[in-house]
Formats: sequence, structure tokens, C-alpha cells
Amino acid sequence: MSVFTDILIVSFIAIFLQNIIFERALGMNIILYAARKKESVIGFSAIITYVLVVSSCLTYLVDKYFSHLEYFSIVMPFLYILIVSVVYIVSLVLIWLLLPRLFKKIKGYVHMSVFNVSVIGALFLESGFQTSLVTYLGFALGTGVGFFVAGYLLFTAHGRLNSELVPAAFRGIPIMLVYIGVISLALYAFIGYSTQ
Amino acid sequence: MSKEKTKGSLSDGLWRQNVVLVSGLLIGPVAAGATNFENAVAIALVFTPLTLLTVLACRLIPRKIVYTVRVILYALVAALFYIPTIIMAEHLVGSAVVTSVGIYLPILMVNPVILTKSETRFYLMPLKDMLPELLGYVLGFGIVCITTGLIRDIAVNGRIGWFRLDTDFSIPAMETTFGGFIMLGIAAAVVRQIMNRKKET
Repeated sequence: MSVFTDILIVSFIAIFLQNIIFERALGMNIILYAARKKESVIGFSAIITYVLVVSSCLTYLVDKYFSHLEYFSIVMPFLYILIVSVVYIVSLVLIWLLLPRLFKKIKGYVHMSVFNVSVIGALFLESGFQTSLVTYLGFALGTGVGFFVAGYLLFTAHGRLNSELVPAAFRGIPIMLVYIGVISLALYAFIGYSTQ
Repeated sequence: MSKEKTKGSLSDGLWRQNVVLVSGLLIGPVAAGATNFENAVAIALVFTPLTLLTVLACRLIPRKIVYTVRVILYALVAALFYIPTIIMAEHLVGSAVVTSVGIYLPILMVNPVILTKSETRFYLMPLKDMLPELLGYVLGFGIVCITTGLIRDIAVNGRIGWFRLDTDFSIPAMETTFGGFIMLGIAAAVVRQIMNRKKET
């Protein structure tokens, strides 16, 4: 029960207080791309969540056994990329063998959903906590759900933000950034932001 | 390659296809990482050699290998180049600045200029055409990043790096992620408007 509660609390923090998009601005290009279609939002979020959860188990072990080494912080990015690469290739081979239909569906964008700033950034953030496996897993899960929440909010606004009602200069990326900024501001208020 | 073509390729990345303000490929490190001048310089300093070297080195990877697999090699090559780059950055701007930028430096290893633009644009052109265009993209990011850091430093801290300005004026919210988003959104709209005007004339 306690493990479940811990995962839930850390996930909640990752979804709302440390949202990968609104608070950390990680993976903006991916979210702007995915937010055009509901299917893309779901697909990207699912892949990001899966890769993060599996990779987090391995980065937890790396952090636990090697983080005390002198040059760990310098080689850590390389190790993390290596871990994500292994998870990516093994998962792709398994999907290709066991679920060929799914493989056909995702092969067009799977590389984008794995090798992006959201995944790598979330792994670095977890490493900064240096706590238990439960925290790593909760944060990974929350990051994936947080990505979905952000993606869905952008998807629902996508049509209106690109409509004729928006001045031509603001249409597309500029208004999207302002919109993300406003949601981010709302989340800051939710945390209780202070300028002191 | 003619001077005109080189100029065109350079200005494509610098201006017309700017990775932050026009295509929105690299917003995160600028919106959330470049919160002051020093941090912005550190980000630009890591991004420039890392992206240039990785894109050039990865050009040697045979295109016979499928992209689904090639992308792993791009990321691993970037991760290797990141090691000397971060050591160089620590020497140039100090480890305190590198630490304060935090995760916004290592995430540059998987930046879309390396993973996406190289595939959809740079590797489709001959090397002599690619070089000025790549340089334009890198400089375009650096200019926007440093300018953003500069504006935020003035607006928040009333200083530029170590140089203190004689002002009490301060907008602390500019330092936050939402401040960064809104500022970049407005800057992107201004750039779009100027480009539209230019097109019309």
C-alpha cells in the first residue's frame, strides 16, 4: 500500500508540479508535432511512458552503483543514452516479432518518441533526486501522464489557436507558446509561486 | 558555391528557419534554461561545437542502415562529443554556471538539429552546401539564446553577466519558465510579422 501511495504522490508531482512541458519545457518540438492529432498524443505519450518506466529501472541501478565515482557526472549522459538505446532496440525487436501490426503503426514515429528531450530530460531529473526505485518509477509514470495531459490540452486548443481569429503573425508557434506560457503560469500559481 | 548562395544558406538557418523562433524545434533550453546571460552563454557554448561536430561526424554513417537504427548512432556520437564539450564549457564559464544550467546542457545531445534536421535537410545536400546552412542553424540558435538570456538578465537582475546596471527596475517573472514561453511567443510573432512584411515588399 505504501509503495502504491509513494508512486501516486511522486506521479502527481511529475504531472502537475514538475510537468515535463509546462514547468520544464522539455520536448517542446515533440509536443507541438503530436498535438495536431489525438492519436499522435496517445501514441507518443504511451511510448514515452513505456520507455521512461523501463529505462528508469536501469538508470536507478546505474545511479545506485556508479554515482559515487569521480567522473560519473561526465559519463552519465553517455550511459543514459546507451540505456535508452538498448531499451529502444530490444523493445522494437520484440514488437516486430510479437506484434507486427503494432510495429507497422508505430515505426514512422517511434524514434521521435524515444530519442527526444522529454525522455532524456526526465531521466536526468530522476537522477537528481537520487532516491528509491519507487521514486524513479513514480516520476517516470507521472512524466508520461504529464506529457499526455499537456498534449491533450494543446490538442483541444490547436484548432482555435490556428484559426482566422488569431492575427496572422501569432498563428501557429507564437500563439501556441503564449498559450503554453499561460497554462504554465496557472500551474505556478497552483504551486504557490513567490518572487522572493 | 557562389557568395549569394552561401549567404542564402546562412540566412536560412539564422533567420527564415530559425530553430527557436520559426520552426520551434529547440524551445526548451531557451525558455527554461537561458534564465540569465551566463546560463545562455553556457548553453550556446555547448550547443555550437556539439551540434557541428556531431552532424559532421554522423554524415559518415552509411545511409544503408535504416533510420530507426541510425538515430541511435547519432545519439551515441553526440553523447561522446558531449564529454569534451562539457569539459571545455566548465573551463570557459566555470563549473558553477554549468551546474546552474543543470539538465538543459546534457539534453542538447538529443537536440532535433542533430536527430531530425540532419536527416531531413543536411544530409540531403552536398557537404559544401550543408556547411553554411548548418552554421546558420547553429548561429541562429546561439543568437536567440544569448539575446534571451541578456534580456532576462536586464529585466530580472538589472545586470548583464557581471556588469551591474544602475537601475531598480525588475520583472522577476521573466526568469520563470512561463515568462520564457510568453517572451519567446511574442518574439516569434514579431519575427513572423517582419518576415511577412519582407515577403510583401
